[in-house]
Amino acid sequence: MKTLQILGTGCPKCKKLAENAEAAAKAMGIEYAIEKISDLKEIMKFGIMITPALVVDGEVKVVGKVPDAEAIKAMLR
Amino acid sequence: MAECCGKNKAKAPGESCGCEKKETVLLYACSGGANVAEVADQAARQLTSQGSGSMFCLAGIGAGIPGMIQTARDADVNLVIDGCPMDCGKKVFDKAGLTNYVQIKVTDLGIEKVKVARATEEQVATVVAKAKDVLAAGR
Repeated sequence: MKTLQILGTGCPKCKKLAENAEAAAKAMGIEYAIEKISDLKEIMKFGIMITPALVVDGEVKVVGKVPDAEAIKAMLR
Repeated sequence: MAECCGKNKAKAPGESCGCEKKETVLLYACSGGANVAEVADQAARQLTSQGSGSMFCLAGIGAGIPGMIQTARDADVNLVIDGCPMDCGKKVFDKAGLTNYVQIKVTDLGIEKVKVARATEEQVATVVAKAKDVLAAGR
């Protein structure tokens, strides 16, 4: 089970990142749980000052960008 | 904190936000105790307030904070403003395995490193101008 955390305030970019992350996980057939974190104090605990960001199993994978599902697949392997 | 597009929250869901095309420019300043560090710091803050980029935490990179290192890795431009030939900022980046940065050095701009002197507005302006040139050249 992979834990995918989407860090962002809920803007279109953040939503797109969540969509792409879910699409990647589904395409790979992996079990996953997705969590959206919009509280800035919680986001900053990751050392992140720019959103959106993707965290996989506690590891920050991408910051300030919205990679497509193909690129996210590589982050889930 | 640089939110992705908080100002556009009121827009309709799914509507494109203007910030999508904005380049991420991060600025890191020398944090030493001499005048050149103060010049670097003030220049980074002035560049931030003028919208040329966002000041970010060099110490966080040095401390190996994963989120901060990833932030630097994913930035379009990282500008390191070192104070003197010790090149501490550059070395912090090198040590973290980050190669996507450009460096300027306060002492390369005719500003002498002096322990007791304070930064002057003219010195800060010199560094700000150089930083803007470097950032413009990279585009």
